[in-house]
Amino acid sequence: MSTSTGGWHADEDLLSRYVRGDAGPVAAASLEQHLLRCASCRDRIAAHVPVPLLDAAWERVRDEAVAGRPRRLERLLVRLGVPAPDALLVATAPSLRTSWLVGLVVTLVFVGLGAAYGGDRGLTFFLLVAPLVPVAGVAFAYGPDADPSHEAALATPYPATRLLLLRTAAVLAASLPPVLLAALLVPALSWTAVAWLLPALSLTAALLAASTWVRPTVTAAALGAGWTAAVTSASRAADPTAVLAPALLVAYAVLGCLALLVLALRSRSLTTLGSPS
Amino acid sequence: MTVVPTVALTGVTKRFRGTAALDDVHLTLGPGITGLLGPNGAGKTTLLRITATVLTPGAGEVVLFGTRPAGPEQLAAVRRRLGYLPQEMGHPRGFTGFGFVDYMAVLKEWTDRAARHAEVRRVLELVDLDGVAARRVSALSGGQRRRLGLAQALLGDPDLLLLDEPTTGVDPGQRVTLRQVLSRAGERSTVLLSTHQTEDVAALCDRVVVLDGGRVRFDGAVADLVATAAGRVWLADAPDPAARASWRTGTGRHRVVGQAAPAGAEPAEPTLEDAYLLLLGERARTTGVAA
Ligand SMILES: Nc1ncnc2c1ncn2[C@@H]1O[C@H](COP(=O)(O)OP(=O)(O)OP(=O)(O)O)[C@@H](O)[C@H]1O
Ligand SMILES: [Mg+2]
Ligand SMILES: [Zn+2]
Repeated sequence: MSTSTGGWHADEDLLSRYVRGDAGPVAAASLEQHLLRCASCRDRIAAHVPVPLLDAAWERVRDEAVAGRPRRLERLLVRLGVPAPDALLVATAPSLRTSWLVGLVVTLVFVGLGAAYGGDRGLTFFLLVAPLVPVAGVAFAYGPDADPSHEAALATPYPATRLLLLRTAAVLAASLPPVLLAALLVPALSWTAVAWLLPALSLTAALLAASTWVRPTVTAAALGAGWTAAVTSASRAADPTAVLAPALLVAYAVLGCLALLVLALRSRSLTTLGSPS
Repeated sequence: MTVVPTVALTGVTKRFRGTAALDDVHLTLGPGITGLLGPNGAGKTTLLRITATVLTPGAGEVVLFGTRPAGPEQLAAVRRRLGYLPQEMGHPRGFTGFGFVDYMAVLKEWTDRAARHAEVRRVLELVDLDGVAARRVSALSGGQRRRLGLAQALLGDPDLLLLDEPTTGVDPGQRVTLRQVLSRAGERSTVLLSTHQTEDVAALCDRVVVLDGGRVRFDGAVADLVATAAGRVWLADAPDPAARASWRTGTGRHRVVGQAAPAGAEPAEPTLEDAYLLLLGERARTTGVAA
């Protein structure tokens, strides 16, 4: 491998200070970077350290550097008590960053629109988009379309349902709070600001259940179309909040529970590639 | 003493919208390296997927390590013992090479961080990627990515290694490295690899299975398949349109693979490729095997 180091090498003094731990944080960090690339300095530092200690320390430095530091999300989850491997799997959900971004953008756009239009237009737009944010997030975090290593992951002993649920939880945790927060800041929404969470969760559950038959992206598109149709027709009939009528809220809750039941019963089909037959 | 085979497929059939990708396949595999040859669409990937438990067969029975993986527990137990490299192996965005194999190792239940990192280092060294492991996967070359895919399949030294075109896009020097890795794995593990390179099979495999149209057309020792081409390969001064295949080689002479010797031809030593062409006849020539 090419080991361009720009001609600079650590002198003996720096090496020995680094080994004793008094090189200072900046010099130490830049020396560690250099050691990753420079075999000759690695060889020379050996003279300053007891050998077993050096090997262990070096491997730790190298692994941290090549594995990439644990992401902030991963460290946070570990601190909250999530087992470290699960935290790693959540943090590496292919597009958690995307779902954060979508949540954030939707929030900002909504707040802007709500301020500009007020009234039904802003409300319709909010109801149209907010419940679909987690649905899109999950569709882009799991399955053959979202995860290019999906097939290889399937062949591992890690339970596919657990992976799907972990990532769903991560997407919900990443995308719902910003939307909710912004919605609460707009007084005109009153209790709609909270009620939309029910269809959001219900649609997400429906997505999970349907993913035991078809890939999540396809279901997400269908759910998106269905929800859009419902909200637009309610809006045409002059009351967009009709989609949040009390009877419907109950229906969402029931449907969501049914969907989770279907997921539990059919979870076996998540362990293989879905295929038309 | 009866030895339980690693893989036992009986009457395995898989249809996609009516067309059979696999048609009544019987296959028993034990330790050693088996090459899987066949034209595009022959069913190689389908066979490897079913054996890797990521696809369920439409009919027939799949027995791995002596058990039919029916329930989730048995499925996980089987998956603990297999390594799989899919034909289409992508990598989620943002990973370094090390980070990706580390991620796969977590899925393979390497929960202890230090032990996992040591294992990840080991497999990266095996495929000669330790030097570039800190780079983003998106910054690796196609052949390097292929070797990264192989590295994750090698995690934990699995008893069953299923590799779908592992050498595609890999340069000749690295292919030799991979041959060494795989031949060592084949000493104790069961290895099934698909490829379009007959020379990989000739160099590496004890046994070869040829699929065509979802059916097993040959299953036996590599030497036995090569022997079927004895006396049917010649070097001639002119092309022979009547032959199964004939082409001008780098020396200016024409290699003729067929049934009858052309005028003025001298016999040539047959290769696995010649035997493959003869076995599959016209189909192999029209659908193409990488030369
Ligand atoms: N998921 C699928 N949906 C529909 N048809 C499929 C699917 N997978 C495979 N097939 C069909 O099954 C047949 C066998 O495909 P398979 O991928 O197993 O071939 P292969 O031998 O691996 O080919 P190649 O050398 O091109 O990789 C082909 O006709 C293909 O079109
Ligand atoms: Mg294939
Ligand atoms: Zn140096």
